[in-house]
Amino acid sequence: MNNNQNFNKMKNLKLITATLGIALLAAIIPVKLKAQTGEEIAWKVYNRASPSDGESDMTMTLINSKGKERVRYLHQFLKDYEEVEKKVMFFKAPADVKNTSFLNYSYDDDRDDDQWLYLPALKKVKRISGGSKDDYFMGSDFTYEDLEKRSPKKDVHKLLKQETLNGEQCYVIESTPKEEGQYSKRVAWVIKDKWIPLKIEFYDEDEELLKVLTIPEFKQINGYWTIITQDMRNVQRSHKTVIKLSNIELEKGLGDEKFTQRAMMKGL
Amino acid sequence: MKIKAIYILGAALLWSQFGFAQSEDEPKLEINGFVRNYTGVLLAPPNEYSIIQNTLNLEFRLQSDKFALYANPYYFQYPNKDDEFKLREAYVDIYLDKFDFRVGKQQIVWGQADGVFITDIVSPLDLTDFLLRDFNEIRIGVNAAKINYYPNYDHSFELVLIPSFTPSIFPSDIWEPTIDFPAPPTFDTSNIEVPFSLESSEVFLKYSLSKSWADIQLMGAYTWDDAPTMHVTQIAPPDPNAPSLLIKPEYHRLALAGMSFNTDIQGFVLRGEGAYYFDKYYQTLDPTAKDALVQKNFINYVVGLDKSIGDWKLSAQFIQRVIIDYDESIKDEEVDNLATLLISKSMFRETVRLEWFSYYGFNNNDALMRIRGFYYPMDAVSLELGANIFTGSKGMFGQYDDNDMMYVRIKYNF
Repeated sequence: MNNNQNFNKMKNLKLITATLGIALLAAIIPVKLKAQTGEEIAWKVYNRASPSDGESDMTMTLINSKGKERVRYLHQFLKDYEEVEKKVMFFKAPADVKNTSFLNYSYDDDRDDDQWLYLPALKKVKRISGGSKDDYFMGSDFTYEDLEKRSPKKDVHKLLKQETLNGEQCYVIESTPKEEGQYSKRVAWVIKDKWIPLKIEFYDEDEELLKVLTIPEFKQINGYWTIITQDMRNVQRSHKTVIKLSNIELEKGLGDEKFTQRAMMKGL
Repeated sequence: MKIKAIYILGAALLWSQFGFAQSEDEPKLEINGFVRNYTGVLLAPPNEYSIIQNTLNLEFRLQSDKFALYANPYYFQYPNKDDEFKLREAYVDIYLDKFDFRVGKQQIVWGQADGVFITDIVSPLDLTDFLLRDFNEIRIGVNAAKINYYPNYDHSFELVLIPSFTPSIFPSDIWEPTIDFPAPPTFDTSNIEVPFSLESSEVFLKYSLSKSWADIQLMGAYTWDDAPTMHVTQIAPPDPNAPSLLIKPEYHRLALAGMSFNTDIQGFVLRGEGAYYFDKYYQTLDPTAKDALVQKNFINYVVGLDKSIGDWKLSAQFIQRVIIDYDESIKDEEVDNLATLLISKSMFRETVRLEWFSYYGFNNNDALMRIRGFYYPMDAVSLELGANIFTGSKGMFGQYDDNDMMYVRIKYNF
């Protein structure tokens, strides 16, 4: 029954959309520079071009306040079916979660995600219940919502200023949720010609700065601006999580068989 | 034996440091496993050890796109009883476009329930330590041929053929159940062997439908009852005032048909499984019954609900078994009700987890409560401190009321 530990970790794997760098922080089609409102900028980020499928290795490093690291290694496949996005993730390390796999169906409408988990020790695929989007993903500093594509309709957006960050010209927009959520507001630095948020500040319910997301590395792959590294730092608790993608391959023409329970059990 | 295990561990650790994958098409060899110490103490005086077990578990996997070889030897070292060195699994996989084949010793897991076995009856159980082993260690590998057919992505069929019957291993030592005989018993095990022949083989068939809205399985089996039936006759005693019983354990055929399902409803996972079993032997007090036995059909089913709320995980199951066409002379009760409850909470970025898992038997008001805490000081290392508490005076759990225990398990995965 030690596998319950794995179960707890893995059930938290829902919605890691951003890991292929094509979700909230994804690239967008270059547009002509002009005066923008906060809402227009938010929609530009949201309506970015994204690949129909892809795969990559992923390294997630959890660093505590003393600098001690815990590292998870995964490989993931993703395919966009327009109404549903399917994703399967295989755990490569550490050893106690190796060969565990997770399948997620994420829908464009308001339906909850469907999720399945394969634990090699239990030798069966289990359907798992979706947790709250405020939950932290695999003990990291990312909540599920942080990793999701958030509709601009849920927030009120305000353009605060324009400034240069890390050599990139950015719009700074403040997004305040229309309904109460896990954050009181977000402030994002969006690169003008790429529509990638280079930095996001997350404020807690007391409007105190809680977390800061930075993007140390991004690049264009197959014409898509892709986030390579994301660094989420909890400034209140002094720990952080770094997600880094490698061996990224987009538009591979992945077959449907990759996103089945048969594939989950077979493994990589 | 110990030196052999140390050599195997050393070799495995060494090999596991190397990557064997030359390219995507070439087979790659992986070696994984764990070492573990498991020490338990009974809470009742004189606080004897309930278990002291050191484990070396190895997994060898050679895999390519089209085939795989897998072996899982394990070694249980006990300071106070005989060591155990066995192969839990050893099989060959062949993957084709629409078929998967697996031949060899293998654990096969069916069904949707946790901790109870209703349609999950392909692999027999090792109940040496009652239900306290990890689930992957409680199932016994069977020598089988398994064929999976996938006509498309949503539907699949699984056929399992087992040519030689493997019975379950029953509780022993402090877990041996107490049985009250009305007269001194004499055991005759001359009929207990199931001959190895085509007629003795077992067959299992399952159909699976996998949709986003639900997973559904239908299954049927022609198998053996993993528990032997006790054929009881009264023998003529030398002293007519001291009658004696002759007990002949014997395995019998069992057929069943069942189904299982799971679905997500508003963030809750509803799951269940049930099976109709044909012609199981039950002990009876009817004096006219041959060997004090009667055959009855019965139904066994479970309904469960799972929910995750933040770092909390909740899961509850209700299990019921009903004997059909019951008569009062049968020793077992007509209806047996059981429930399980799991409450689990992760903390400190998943480095600590607390868990409560319990079985409760309604018929005898007995229970097993498993209360555990896990600490993960670093990746692949776990420290588990737990207690197994039995309550009640009779029934599946109450009979072990004197076996309350605390234990610690230290495990390193590699």
